[in-house]
Amino acid sequence: MVLAWVLLLGGALQAAALDGVIIIVNKSVTVDSISVAALKDIYTGRTTYWPDGQGVDIAVLDDQIIDKTDTALEEISGMDTSHFKTFWQRIVFSGRGQQPDRIGDVPSLVAFVASNKGAIAIVPADADLKGVKKLEVK
Amino acid sequence: MKTTKDKTIKRLAIVLVLAAITGARLQAADLKLFGTNGPPVDFHGFVSQGFLYSSAYNYLGDSSHGSFKFTEAGLNASFNPLPRTRIAAQAFSYDVDDAGQYDLVLDYALVEYTFNDYFGVRAGRIRRPQGIYNDIQDVDVARTFVLLPQGIYDARWRDFYVSLDGGEFFGTIPLKQAGSLSYEFYGGMINPSLDGGAALEIRDSLPASGHLDSIDSAEEFGGQLWWNTPVDGLRFGAAGGVVPVFNFNTTIQIPGGSIRPNNRTEAVFQQYSGEYFWKAWTFQTELFFKDYYPEAAGMADMHSLTWYAGAAYRFNKWFEAGGYYTEYYGDTSQPDNSLQYQKDAALALRFDVTDWWIFKIEGHYIRGTGLLQENPDNPVQNDKGWWLIAVKTTFSF
Repeated sequence: MVLAWVLLLGGALQAAALDGVIIIVNKSVTVDSISVAALKDIYTGRTTYWPDGQGVDIAVLDDQIIDKTDTALEEISGMDTSHFKTFWQRIVFSGRGQQPDRIGDVPSLVAFVASNKGAIAIVPADADLKGVKKLEVK
Repeated sequence: MKTTKDKTIKRLAIVLVLAAITGARLQAADLKLFGTNGPPVDFHGFVSQGFLYSSAYNYLGDSSHGSFKFTEAGLNASFNPLPRTRIAAQAFSYDVDDAGQYDLVLDYALVEYTFNDYFGVRAGRIRRPQGIYNDIQDVDVARTFVLLPQGIYDARWRDFYVSLDGGEFFGTIPLKQAGSLSYEFYGGMINPSLDGGAALEIRDSLPASGHLDSIDSAEEFGGQLWWNTPVDGLRFGAAGGVVPVFNFNTTIQIPGGSIRPNNRTEAVFQQYSGEYFWKAWTFQTELFFKDYYPEAAGMADMHSLTWYAGAAYRFNKWFEAGGYYTEYYGDTSQPDNSLQYQKDAALALRFDVTDWWIFKIEGHYIRGTGLLQENPDNPVQNDKGWWLIAVKTTFSF
């Protein structure tokens, strides 16, 4: 009973986390869908390569003026923006990975994902998706 | 020993180069060094300058008169040349107290291959994982405090603790509802410097007629486990390692000649960690045991212990405050000897002026002198409390 409640709550949280946002990737990424758990593995550095061996290149908005993407990033990674930044600084300066790229606005973020192999980003659901692929979240 | 002029020139060169690079705000996407179709190269770097002032004693420099001998700078690059492959390197320079001397060192230079999320290998010069901060203890932007608990993360000893030449296995094993288990197991050689913290402490322990001739490279083996619990932001860690033979060569003049003592020692350490990121809070605690087993007959084993507990709260994008309390016991058989312990209560304020510029100020109230190196700069030590103020600014990209 408790487990069912936890699973139900977890599912509800997953749906709420991605309300109003979508996940976009470079067209070189071969996957078409992803689970929230797999998204978390990417945004916490546990998954650093796509199934075909291509490096995962995370891009995030530099200025947190878009509440929904900020909230979605926090829900997916389990860290607020400050902790997320510190977490990745630890990784890059210890030689264990590459820091997410910080982009100043949504159109530039979409353009970055379109032009960088392996790139992934969270954008508002109404963003112009020119040149990128949308990932379905399972 | 380098002259003041040499060190000043080095300091200026490092600061100017890093400032120029920081000003240019280089980003990986802008550096297609291998052509437009080649893999982009990701660059990051930082330069930090600190100031220390203490109400008594000289700690981490000539702090009783105010000391600027607290500089760190690093520049790294990373790229993925082939599928599942990454190459990364970082150059580093520092000067803390008399350690470092602005020597330019290759902090890490590695090739990494990740078979899958569960298993990967790194080889080359790697940063050694131990606890929350060992592999990033000189990266000011990655923490709240200017000074980490020095009983575990002594700023002077980075040449001994931080990097080794060898390799490691790493990966993360999912545990379903129990979260996941991250692991790193390493082996290789450490290369302590004659300008490093270990050398300073050895020289300070020698009699006036003694001389430190060399420090041998030494094998080191160990590992770090992290249980990433099902609770977001909560993890627990355990680390351990051994240096089977740490040896340094000394010559001591005696009437009629000289002697070369047997300084071979086995060093063993364990560290246990807990960390919790909860909303704008960070909670951390660690416990560290270090044991030395000298080979020479008649030399006593040495056991030391350090623990700390701390917290930090980020009020907004530009301001964070934190504090910790730590106790260091250099010889656990003498817990009441103020010359062997150092107890420190710290309070820090961090200001993120911009995305690439931070400023910190913190105060420490300290009892005991266990981490002061025994040298003519500290001829009298007692159990009275003393204060230390630390200020630091860092530019990073």
